[in-house]
Amino acid sequence: MAYAYLFKYIIIGDTGVGKSCLLLQFTDKRFQPVHDLTIGVEFGARMITIDGKQIKLQIWDTAGQESFRSITRSYYRGAAGALLVYDITRRDTFNHLTTWLEDARQHSNSNMVIMLIGNKSDLESRREVKKEEGEAFAREHGLIFMETSAKTASNVEEAFINTAKEIYEKIQEGVFDINNEANGIKIGPQHPTTNSTLSSSQGGHQAGGGCC
Amino acid sequence: MNFLRGVMGGQAAGPQPTGAETIQKLCDRVASSTLLEDRRDAVRALKSLSKKYRMEVGTQAMDHLVTILQTDRSDSEILGYSLDTLYNIICNDEEEEQDESEDENTQKQTDDLCALFTEKFLQDPERITLLLTLLEEFDFHVRWPAVKLLTALLKSQGAQVQGIILVSPMGVSRLMDLLADSREVIRNDGLLLLQQLTRGNAAIQKIVAFENAFERLLDIITEEGSSDGGIVVEDCLLLLLNLLKNNSSNQNFFKEGSYIQRMKPWFEVGDDNSGWSAQKVTNLHLMLQLVRVMVSPVNSPGATASCQKCMFQCGLLQQLCTILMATGVPADILTETINTVSEVIRGSQINQDYFASVNAPSSPPRPAIVVLLMSMVNERQPFVLRCAVLYCFQCFLYKNQKGQGEIVATLLPSTIDANSISAGQLLCGGLFSADSLSNWCAAVALAHALQDNLTQKEQLLRVQLATSLGKPPVSLLQQCTNILSQGDKIVRRGSKVQTRVGLLMLLCTWISNCPIAVTHFLHNQDNVPFLTAQISENLGEDERLVQGLCALLLGICIYHNDNSLENYTKEKLKQLIEKRIGKENFVEKLGFITKHELYSRAALKPQPVFPSPEQMLFDHEFTKLVKDLEGVITKAVHKSTEEDKKEEEVKKTLEQHDNIVTRYKELIREQDAQIQELKEQVAALSSQHEQMQATVAQQLSQIQQHKDQYNILKLKLGKESPSQGDGSQQNGLQTEELSQLREELDELRKQHAVLQTQLAERDALITTLQSSSQTTESPAGGSDNTELLQELEALRSQVQSQSSEISHLKTERQELLTRAEAEPSDTAPPSASAELESRLAAQTSETEKMKRSVAELEQQLAASTSTAAILQTEKEKLQSEVQESKKEQDDLLMLLADQDQKIHSLKKRLKDLGETVEDEDDLDTKDQTSDDDDEEEDEDDK
Repeated sequence: MAYAYLFKYIIIGDTGVGKSCLLLQFTDKRFQPVHDLTIGVEFGARMITIDGKQIKLQIWDTAGQESFRSITRSYYRGAAGALLVYDITRRDTFNHLTTWLEDARQHSNSNMVIMLIGNKSDLESRREVKKEEGEAFAREHGLIFMETSAKTASNVEEAFINTAKEIYEKIQEGVFDINNEANGIKIGPQHPTTNSTLSSSQGGHQAGGGCC
Repeated sequence: MNFLRGVMGGQAAGPQPTGAETIQKLCDRVASSTLLEDRRDAVRALKSLSKKYRMEVGTQAMDHLVTILQTDRSDSEILGYSLDTLYNIICNDEEEEQDESEDENTQKQTDDLCALFTEKFLQDPERITLLLTLLEEFDFHVRWPAVKLLTALLKSQGAQVQGIILVSPMGVSRLMDLLADSREVIRNDGLLLLQQLTRGNAAIQKIVAFENAFERLLDIITEEGSSDGGIVVEDCLLLLLNLLKNNSSNQNFFKEGSYIQRMKPWFEVGDDNSGWSAQKVTNLHLMLQLVRVMVSPVNSPGATASCQKCMFQCGLLQQLCTILMATGVPADILTETINTVSEVIRGSQINQDYFASVNAPSSPPRPAIVVLLMSMVNERQPFVLRCAVLYCFQCFLYKNQKGQGEIVATLLPSTIDANSISAGQLLCGGLFSADSLSNWCAAVALAHALQDNLTQKEQLLRVQLATSLGKPPVSLLQQCTNILSQGDKIVRRGSKVQTRVGLLMLLCTWISNCPIAVTHFLHNQDNVPFLTAQISENLGEDERLVQGLCALLLGICIYHNDNSLENYTKEKLKQLIEKRIGKENFVEKLGFITKHELYSRAALKPQPVFPSPEQMLFDHEFTKLVKDLEGVITKAVHKSTEEDKKEEEVKKTLEQHDNIVTRYKELIREQDAQIQELKEQVAALSSQHEQMQATVAQQLSQIQQHKDQYNILKLKLGKESPSQGDGSQQNGLQTEELSQLREELDELRKQHAVLQTQLAERDALITTLQSSSQTTESPAGGSDNTELLQELEALRSQVQSQSSEISHLKTERQELLTRAEAEPSDTAPPSASAELESRLAAQTSETEKMKRSVAELEQQLAASTSTAAILQTEKEKLQSEVQESKKEQDDLLMLLADQDQKIHSLKKRLKDLGETVEDEDDLDTKDQTSDDDDEEEDEDDK
């Protein structure tokens, strides 16, 4: 139950690219071939380990339909990571990436880590978007890239974990302000913040001074 | 009306400036004045008039006030007045306070005004967005009225305002920020705003939760002192309820965020529970409701199960059970705690087991279940509490075979403990008490101990009751039917129908799906006549339900009948119905159950909630049973004997089909296994294939490397003076082979030497033998020997020639080697230097030269390859020669053996002739020693 950090993720992308399936595969380790349309936003969570530390991932899976776009925008600001998903068998979902990215950049905090995901890599025969194209897009926009299959679970773990690694590194580098929960990062209960240790040590100092 | 009166009155008043006129003037000033101070004064005046002349200010000034909000953004004072005024004309609250004494008509008018002005305000949705931006103003006089105004708008036109806020960027997030405001008034009014905002809108609820609402609200509750806190805690709890009720996504988030654990301290109430404030009772009530929302039976089973598990693990359930057993807890809190515990344990084995182990702190300690049941069958306890206990008991037994067994066991003769009160005793007491409510509750509770549990249905048949002294004991089943049939004669409190309905539900649950119980029931000769009489009688409205239940009971007797009683087989019962009641009539009576007005209400949810004790008639689980049985009983009654037979046949064929299907299933399973095996094989093969491909690739790359090396060498050759890189490489390859050959030759030579020395010895031996036997030897033997000698000589010469050949080859090879070694070393670069010198010379000539040199090189290459080929053939020849010489050696050895034989025979002959010949053994030893000597010599040579 105890965790060192808590990261908030959102999953975005066109409707039908497999966002909910990715989440289900990650949290429940199963695949549901027939899935209802997501209404608004659904929540999922899982614990992972990075660098020997327990990290809790809270993931909000958003509806891809245009009509929900204004609702899902509310989730950008508070997220530390975003999985931007397209479907490798549908070029239009790849073409819409720019719009998604603009939306995300506009409404999120500037440090949000974005992972670009080409999903449905198991459907190689129906592929419409080359892996190289995805790589190029990611390079151009400074994203991490991966091709996954929610059906076979290929790279699903990696996609979520690598995003967390990137966030974790940014924390180590001091890029994220971890005391501001609006960034989508929270320090776990057993992990004292630098501030509190500082103040308590100061308190001890003062008490000592008073004694003398 | 008010509007009309106001307008009319205004016109009629004439000389004195009416409110409407003043307001019109003020509005003009607000609209046209260029000085900020003037506008501010006008708005302030409007504000002060807005309560008294709500109608007028609302109709005339609203647009002007909104314009102020847009244009005078820099002056927080005027913004504040404007917002206050708008709030006054839209909000109802203060009017309500004033108008408390007035009649309903006025109240309705103010409601109308509120709706009217809200609609007017919302004509332009941008105004909500404007209010949201005003919330960003930190100034208290702007933010506070903005919060209040938005709350009032949400209260009046919730859905519309929610829709606008939802789509305005960061709208919800901004409102969430209010909870972080350091000014308590704003934070608290922010709570009220969020309550209105989240009402019935799942999308907004989720965003609010996403914005860390749970964390903040739980923090505020803790800061404010949990249940001891004031109305702020209540507001927080109401908001939490809004966020969680019927919102599975938020419930999941709440659980995953480990917030259930944070609810546990709420229920740590002390020992002294007297004098709870009304606020504390309200707060605890809401807290209990929050727990129930998380484990509600209407949630998905998986979600409820995981929350139940969590509540046990974090000690929340234990804490609730402490309240359950504590003294001095107010009755309604106790009731709600019982309901909460019920839902926390419902269907969860661990929690049910824990609950069974809870003891009341009395001496001697009694199980909590017993203490609770005592309240259930105690008519002095409040009705809601008794309902709650029944619910708790039902939830304890829900999907709990172990618990069911334990309850039934307390009634069985073998396990009865006379010294203490048991659950079974209490239930029986309730069943036969004079209070109809106790009858009903006990019957339903007992029915739940039998639900879906054939073993307990059969076990309960064993229960015997001691009635009055001197009479034989009666079975529990018998006693139930006795009370049912004699019901009218016993004086009771409450309704007679309630008792009979309870008993009939118990009997139906008991004998359904249990043919032995049906047989027991039919065995009593009075039962069937009683039922048919009840059904066929034309009774009043309130008896209809009893009739329906009797029909259901009789129907079960037909449907679950195993025909073991001759008088009451399926067939005979059906005939009885047809004769005495009539099929149609029977089905109609059966239908009375589901047509009852209280039936569908009970079918909705498991908790027994009844507005009044009289309405306590149906149990939730029983409605499920009715649903299952109504159709099949109707069919069973309508079916003729022939149809029955047909059905039997169909059943048989179905069984056959089943057999076929099972066979196929097995086949499929086998094939599955085969497929699995084959798949594994395929996997193994494909991995092998991959390995092979990998080695092939490796080899290909090696070949490529060699080719590259070759090309590099070729290039080198092109640049530098002719060298035979590849030639040397080939030579290098051959040197290996040659060294091998050399070794072989060395060995052969050694063998030759050994053989030669042996031959020499033999020669010597033969000559001595010859000389010694010159006189006596027959000529034939002499010729033989000479022949042999000749042969030996020939062999020796052959061997010599071979060794010379070998040495010849050796020298040749040596030559080759030296050549190969020498060639790469003499690489003077004349062409490179020439290139440097002739840099100015025409490029054409250079290229030509290059071409020529390339051609030359190619020739050289061809030559070297041909020499290599020659060497190869030579090597082959040598090998074949070696092979030959080996063969010859073998022949030689054969010859030697022959010779030995001959020498033997000669010696024998000599002996026979009387010549003294050295003994064989001596000879042999001599041979050996000489051999050894030879070997030693050989070693010395080396």
